[in-house]
Amino acid sequence: MFKVDIKKELGILPRSIWAFHCNSGSCNGCDIEIVALLTPRYDIERFGMKLVGTPRHADALLVTGPVTKYMTDRLRRIYAQMPNPKVVIVVGNCGASGDVFYKSYNLDGPVDQILPVDVYVHGCPPRPEAIIDGVAKAILKLEEKREELLKTGGATNA
Amino acid sequence: MTIGTIYTGFGYWNVYAWVMFFALGALIVLCIRSTGRNDYEKGTYQDEVFYGGNPVPQDGQDLAVPASSSYWGFTKAIASFYDLLVGVHTGILSDYMGLLIATAAVISLLILL
Repeated sequence: MFKVDIKKELGILPRSIWAFHCNSGSCNGCDIEIVALLTPRYDIERFGMKLVGTPRHADALLVTGPVTKYMTDRLRRIYAQMPNPKVVIVVGNCGASGDVFYKSYNLDGPVDQILPVDVYVHGCPPRPEAIIDGVAKAILKLEEKREELLKTGGATNA
Repeated sequence: MTIGTIYTGFGYWNVYAWVMFFALGALIVLCIRSTGRNDYEKGTYQDEVFYGGNPVPQDGQDLAVPASSSYWGFTKAIASFYDLLVGVHTGILSDYMGLLIATAAVISLLILL
């Protein structure tokens, strides 16, 4: 019989995950799929996940696009503005590898050349289910980081 | 001098009531503020205003959006009227006195005729 330790399950996530979305030069395909998560069909807000308007409120950074030179500093600054612990989720092939743009003269990316990436969600664009799966994996990584911070004395109430 | 209550035709004003409401408001603000996160690393980007990922301008003027921006279309539509009004407001007292006398003269004429 499958047993769920509800105390442990709830302990993993002290509060809902909030994400900030940064388009670092995407064609908008992935961005549309991220927005689709908010529609009644997927409705991620029922899990408490939501997109926030500032990185200062975010636990996760969703990055789409292969990171153009113009966006490099901005992406770094956005990541730096997020409170610890934080995770980076790359949504789409462009952010993961550059995809069809990988030889472009105007790229500093892909994202892992700029930021430490925790979760890759592949696809061009990835399906909303895949993004939800990526966020679920990110929650586990976030929990690991939170525990690490608590052990090292880094105060956090995330 | 005694501190009392001022009654008007519409209500009253009392300094103690005002201080009490101010303290109550401050308490509510502090309660809301205490729910925020306090683990930001001071002196880093985490402490800074989010400005769309761009560097925050050091000059406050570059950050400010003047209230007049909200009715820009209105002022643009009747710009000739505003230009006239702005032109009249020279900041020189004798000009204002002259306008007052001229306006009083015109109103007097209208009343008398």
